[in-house]
Amino acid sequence: MTTTATPTGLRERLEAVVGHDHVRTDEGALVTFSMDATPLERGRPDAVVFPATADEVAGVLRIANERGVPLIARGSGTNLSAGTVPHRGGIVLVLTRMNRVKEVSGAELVAVCEPGVRTIELAQAAAAKGLLFPPDPGSQSTATVGGNVAECAGGLRALKYGVTRDYVLGVQAVLATGEIIRSGGRLVKDVAGYDLRRLLCGSEGTLAVMTELTLRLVPAPEASGYGMAYFPDLAAAARAVSRVLASGVLPVTLEFLDQVCIGAVEDYAQIGLDTSAGALLIFGQDGDPAVIERDLERMAQACATEGATSVRIAESPEAASEVLEARRAALPSLSRLEPLTLLEDATVPRSRIAEMVEYIQEVARRHQLKIGTFGHAGDGNLHPTAVLDPADEGAVGRARAAFGEIFARAIELDGTITGEHGIGLVKLRYLERQLGADHMALLRRIKAAFDPNGILNPGKLGS
Amino acid sequence: MTTAAIAPDPVPERRGVFTAELLDRCISCGFCLPACPTYALTGVETSSPRGRINLMRALETGVLPDDDPTVQEESSFCLGCRACEPVCPAGVQYGELVEEWRDHLWNGRGRPWKVRPLLWAVDSPRRVRAMGIVRRHAGRGEAPGPVNLMLGCFERVLYPRVSRDARKLAGELAAPAAQGCCGALHAHNGELGRGRQLAQRLGEALPGTIVTTSGGCGAHLAGVLGGDRVKELSQWLHARDGAVVGNPTAARPRIGLQDSCHLRHGLGVWREPRELIARVGEYVELPSAAGCCGGAGSYAIVRPQDSARVLDRHLDEIAGADLDLVAVVNAGCYRQLQQGVKRRRLRTRVLHLAELLAGVK
Ligand SMILES: Cc1cc2nc3c(=O)[nH]c(=O)nc-3n(C[C@H](O)[C@H](O)[C@H](O)COP(=O)(O)OP(=O)(O)OC[C@H]3O[C@@H](n4cnc5c(N)ncnc54)[C@H](O)[C@@H]3O)c2cc1C
Ligand code: SF4
Ligand code: SF4
Repeated sequence: MTTTATPTGLRERLEAVVGHDHVRTDEGALVTFSMDATPLERGRPDAVVFPATADEVAGVLRIANERGVPLIARGSGTNLSAGTVPHRGGIVLVLTRMNRVKEVSGAELVAVCEPGVRTIELAQAAAAKGLLFPPDPGSQSTATVGGNVAECAGGLRALKYGVTRDYVLGVQAVLATGEIIRSGGRLVKDVAGYDLRRLLCGSEGTLAVMTELTLRLVPAPEASGYGMAYFPDLAAAARAVSRVLASGVLPVTLEFLDQVCIGAVEDYAQIGLDTSAGALLIFGQDGDPAVIERDLERMAQACATEGATSVRIAESPEAASEVLEARRAALPSLSRLEPLTLLEDATVPRSRIAEMVEYIQEVARRHQLKIGTFGHAGDGNLHPTAVLDPADEGAVGRARAAFGEIFARAIELDGTITGEHGIGLVKLRYLERQLGADHMALLRRIKAAFDPNGILNPGKLGS
Repeated sequence: MTTAAIAPDPVPERRGVFTAELLDRCISCGFCLPACPTYALTGVETSSPRGRINLMRALETGVLPDDDPTVQEESSFCLGCRACEPVCPAGVQYGELVEEWRDHLWNGRGRPWKVRPLLWAVDSPRRVRAMGIVRRHAGRGEAPGPVNLMLGCFERVLYPRVSRDARKLAGELAAPAAQGCCGALHAHNGELGRGRQLAQRLGEALPGTIVTTSGGCGAHLAGVLGGDRVKELSQWLHARDGAVVGNPTAARPRIGLQDSCHLRHGLGVWREPRELIARVGEYVELPSAAGCCGGAGSYAIVRPQDSARVLDRHLDEIAGADLDLVAVVNAGCYRQLQQGVKRRRLRTRVLHLAELLAGVK
């Protein structure tokens, strides 16, 4: 990181839009906005700006566009694909001052909010009216709704409830050239024009800056219940998942931990897990208590039929919390093993999970790495997590090679290189392998139509 | 991981300001942001735990110099409240990091001038004793017993009744006057070595179990002497008798609590004072009971304005709940809340938990 002064006049022009107190150009602040939750990636921005309104966002975008300065929208900076790393410098536009929940309507089942609202705050505002905002990424206490939409975040409930895109009804956004547009609104049915709100969903700050979101809510389920089962190997657990789904149950939770994760969790949290098991499956259902009971019973049965060595249904909320603890502790336990944690999200069709996880273990052995895999068995979204010591320079290189192979294999199995974390900076080089050259060219043309001067998050998706 | 331009720097040289294992722990997930009171004030990540850890890393690798104004400012703006610790999935020991940070930056000329006389005052046991000489605290010329009451330096002067009431609640507590400072103030203000040394000396002066009436002192002492030897009063009373200390009154006053940050986040004690309060009155959980009140040791003296801003929310809630009493478990919180309540002219009385339990008959 070399120290260079702020480009001439940039600070003054930004101040004219957002006010003196909402522009930071001191070296210390630039350091703290040079990175996000992605390990190893960083880049020094020229300025960090905190707008309060869509008009201020538009004003900042016009300046960036006119001067050809990169502009990187940022929520809470929890993404794992270096999507907010300003590797080419420029302006980091932090949207957390725009944090009002403007409306939660029980009658219309919609919420309207600004992009900087944290996901948990929206969920709580909805819950206060007996409603549910289903997307629940593990980062929901910190991540913003704008960041969720821009990444099309998933979560633990995706199999039953879908992902963020399934809840975006309308978007207000500022284009790179400063115009403010709206796509969609409060309507469930609306086919006027291309579905731009869907296009913006998962656009990773490369097409426009979203300044208001209208989101669909659903009635909150009455109750929830959980259970767990141990299997001798992942293949058996995967067969149980297929059996569960074929039995007419659509569970809210179907999470698994592989043997490496079970061992790491038990070492750290000591919650009495069976470390001899090859896989642990956690299942859950929400809704009507009678339905929950019936579905948990069916899922337990399916697990037993596929050779589960032990099955347990939680009888109380405390017991349920214990069951979920194993999954909650997975990342904390793995991350404590070594200083550097690389959390990935290769995703395959449900029926290929066992094959994929076995491949991951084989790759780990070959590259002498420790990789634990946990994830969402219901939707095939895997989180192979490598832990290593960055002081061992070789290890970082080996991990990169290993993940390259893992992504290639995911594509071969009709999967994807990223289920929910996004392309950002770190996966652009794998994208063409999945999409093909024609598709990539189309992405670039779309990007150019939205952002003719290429100022929005350049060098990432659409580049 | 894409182009040469963004390839990570080669493993950077470390200056050794921070213990590598402590600084490396952070996985930059950002989960600590919503827990941090100073981030809530500014909304700028630079004033958050992750932001500060990144400043520390920049300092450690020489990306930022010691005299960088933002580094200086943030090291002092941080309350040191450790609210960032329990929410951290990676188990980052932020409290230790901030002590190392200040030890490096403030040892010598960098220390805020306002804390220097405080550190001087508590640096020698003789001066500490002299401070409390005219006040009637519990300390006397007796020999240490198996369980000893630690007499807080500032508590002796400002709130001498606290130690007397602690003795009223538990006659077996010995309170030898010949004891110095625990060193927490030193440790939190950039004199880590001296802070540890003072704790060690106090451990020698008070062999056996040490009971403290102050969460801040308790956490520091436990950090040096071990949690087996050091107990905070509510923790110790609760372990001894369960929640049966103090006599319930018919009046059942409405009582809130201000957690001590280090007691809650450092020692994990929060249930005990609540259960003890519920015995003598109607316990009311304030929404920000667990959040720092802004007293934060010497913070209220060094940064009075920020300290008052942090306190505001707590006062709003105390006024909103129309409490009769609010209990504290740390001398710094005592002073902070008492002054705030007075400024706002609230009817609520601030009392230390020991006073509350001993006094409400
Ligand atoms: C421990 C951990 C667990 C996680 N668990 C999950 C999980 O379960 N599921 C999941 O999907 N993700 C998960 N994530 C990833 C991450 O939290 C999500 O991607 C989240 O949606 C990012 O939100 P944010 O506010 O932090 O956005 P940021 O990281 O700030 O930004 C993310 C992207 O969105 C863009 N952006 C942000 N705001 C706007 C806006 N208003 N307009 C246009 N573009 C914008 C940015 O430019 C960037 O490209 C996890 C991350 C961590 C660290
Ligand atoms: S929660 Fe812990 S690991 Fe995450 S950024 Fe904060 S200190 Fe680092
Ligand atoms: S100690 Fe308190 S003020 Fe300092 S970073 Fe942690 S939460 Fe914020």
